[in-house]
Amino acid sequence: MTATEIIVEAADATPPRSTRSVGAYLLIAPAIVWMTLFLVVPMAMIVYVSFWTQTTFKIEPKLTLDSWQTFFSSSTYISSLWTTVRIWLTVLAMTFLVGYPTALFVGLFVKNKTLQTTLLVLCVIPFWTSFLIRVLAWRPMLGKEGAINILLMKAGIIQQPIEALLFTDLSVVIGMTQIYVVFMVGPIAFMLGRIDPNILEAARDLGAGFWRILRKIIFPLSLPGVVVGAIFVSVMVLGEFATSAALSGRKVNLLGNIIVTQVGSLKWALASVVGVILTFIMGVVIAGLLRIVDLKKEL
Amino acid sequence: MRAHVAEGSVLRLEQLTKRFGDRAALDKISFSVNSGEYVSLLGPSGSGKTVLLRAIAGFEAPEEGRVSIVGEDVTRKPPHLRGIGFVFQNFALFPHLSVFDNVAFGLRNGGDKRTESDTRRRTLEMLDLVGLNGLETRGVHQISGGQKQRVALARTLVIKPKLVLLDEPLGALDANLRMRMRVELRRIRERLGIPFLHVTGSESEALAMGDRLIVLDRGAISQFGPPGEVYEHPANPNVAKFLNCYNVFDGSVQGDAFVTNHGPIPLARRVASSTPAYAVRYDRLTTRADAGAGLSAAYIASEYLGSAIMHFFETPDGKVVELEHHLSNGPPDAYEAGRTYRLSWRPEDGIAFV
Repeated sequence: MTATEIIVEAADATPPRSTRSVGAYLLIAPAIVWMTLFLVVPMAMIVYVSFWTQTTFKIEPKLTLDSWQTFFSSSTYISSLWTTVRIWLTVLAMTFLVGYPTALFVGLFVKNKTLQTTLLVLCVIPFWTSFLIRVLAWRPMLGKEGAINILLMKAGIIQQPIEALLFTDLSVVIGMTQIYVVFMVGPIAFMLGRIDPNILEAARDLGAGFWRILRKIIFPLSLPGVVVGAIFVSVMVLGEFATSAALSGRKVNLLGNIIVTQVGSLKWALASVVGVILTFIMGVVIAGLLRIVDLKKEL
Repeated sequence: MRAHVAEGSVLRLEQLTKRFGDRAALDKISFSVNSGEYVSLLGPSGSGKTVLLRAIAGFEAPEEGRVSIVGEDVTRKPPHLRGIGFVFQNFALFPHLSVFDNVAFGLRNGGDKRTESDTRRRTLEMLDLVGLNGLETRGVHQISGGQKQRVALARTLVIKPKLVLLDEPLGALDANLRMRMRVELRRIRERLGIPFLHVTGSESEALAMGDRLIVLDRGAISQFGPPGEVYEHPANPNVAKFLNCYNVFDGSVQGDAFVTNHGPIPLARRVASSTPAYAVRYDRLTTRADAGAGLSAAYIASEYLGSAIMHFFETPDGKVVELEHHLSNGPPDAYEAGRTYRLSWRPEDGIAFV
């Protein structure tokens, strides 16, 4: 393991610096200017504003910890923090449970490359319509008089409509899983597609059954895809507010929803506090996921 | 069924046929491999040699025919129940496992309950046999091509297969290493006594490695025999061509002569064949004296091979004729480019396929 790291680092260090001309730096300059102006500066600004003094109608650049104290002393905000973590973990698990078998089917069992591409494009088709429509379309599906309840009642499986389907944690999880699962399927299918079929034949020839091949060969080799997928899904779910607003009837309040509300009532300082906390959580999550695999080595 | 299986035969194929669409990739292949035998399988690309190997291993299902291992019909059995080891052309090592875990993989696959210490002992024994001691903990990306080849071999041999199939095992190695691995492969096989079936596209590898040699052409066996016999007595013009040591001329038999575009050649050895042709080995040709049979061709160029020199001539109608001069027979003759020479050989050195 350590030997690998040394080799990888050595390989990284080999390109001679002297050959890099000023021209090479010019290539990266627009990106650096853009990212500095529109990412680094605004993020520093948010951290700064979170310490400003907020009064009912205005905000002044006088440094104070008031907004931070407000956040951590309010049970509403703290519980919204936990709701965010709970929904994120649930959606992450669901996208994995739904996405991994799908990716396995597309990436490994569909041998025809054209069909493989077609199936992956099918996964993306929902994105041809707007985000709001995709979310709101769940209402007539899950509602008290929605499609699922009607079908179940017609089939005689239930007598009373299930009310827990809509405006609950469940509807938020269903909606988010459907929207974000494709970001899990893509990277995993990509990694699975790169597995040399001879490796699986060799494992079969050596007497390994399907489950053992899946556990010992396929899963470890697809792990980088799982990690990349998990990063995509995590970043998007942690910053979510629209799905929970549309499908929970404002009962599920994520940190994203708090930011929207606070900005709406011009409470910039508290919105900044939540923004900093959310960014911090995302940073920790990404760092943690990247510890699972060495992406530099795998990709 | 057991009755007509030859004594000591480990692998037996009967009328094995595999089609892709209309094309028969394998056309009624029958042969057997005896215990302790090293058989090499030579064929040009597209001759079906890899398909044949995969059908024997169970990765491809044949439409007709039968595969038997030690007298047992395994045609419908999955690969891992056939007792066959398969060494892949690209090695197909498990990229995320160490050398040790690659080799131990087959031992840890359930079946008979084996303790970890037993697995460890057998894995280390096998690594020792293939000469990989001390590399157990390395990742398979941290070892050389030759070492990867040894891991692939050890991984297959450790589960004690009844037969080992090797799909162009030396193809991914450089020339120097290939020569060393040839010797190694034979040494390892002799230690274990397991029969090897070795597929290759290289005639020199096939001749050097095999106790017996199968020549495969367009999905059918052209010839099966000891290397010396195949080399000296090719069964048909195509075999002569694959061996890459025969000048093969088209033409037909008329009376006592084989008539080519380059003139008639007196007949001595005749071999029955579906397509008429005349073959004579590169090293049987001479320009020094008229040996009885021959033709005229213009000198083009020479190629130095170390122990021999190869001279290339061209007949008026564009057929390239090769003459191999072994340097142990004295210094090579000097030829003048473009000048026409009489290339001749003794009639009994030529083979007429009629």
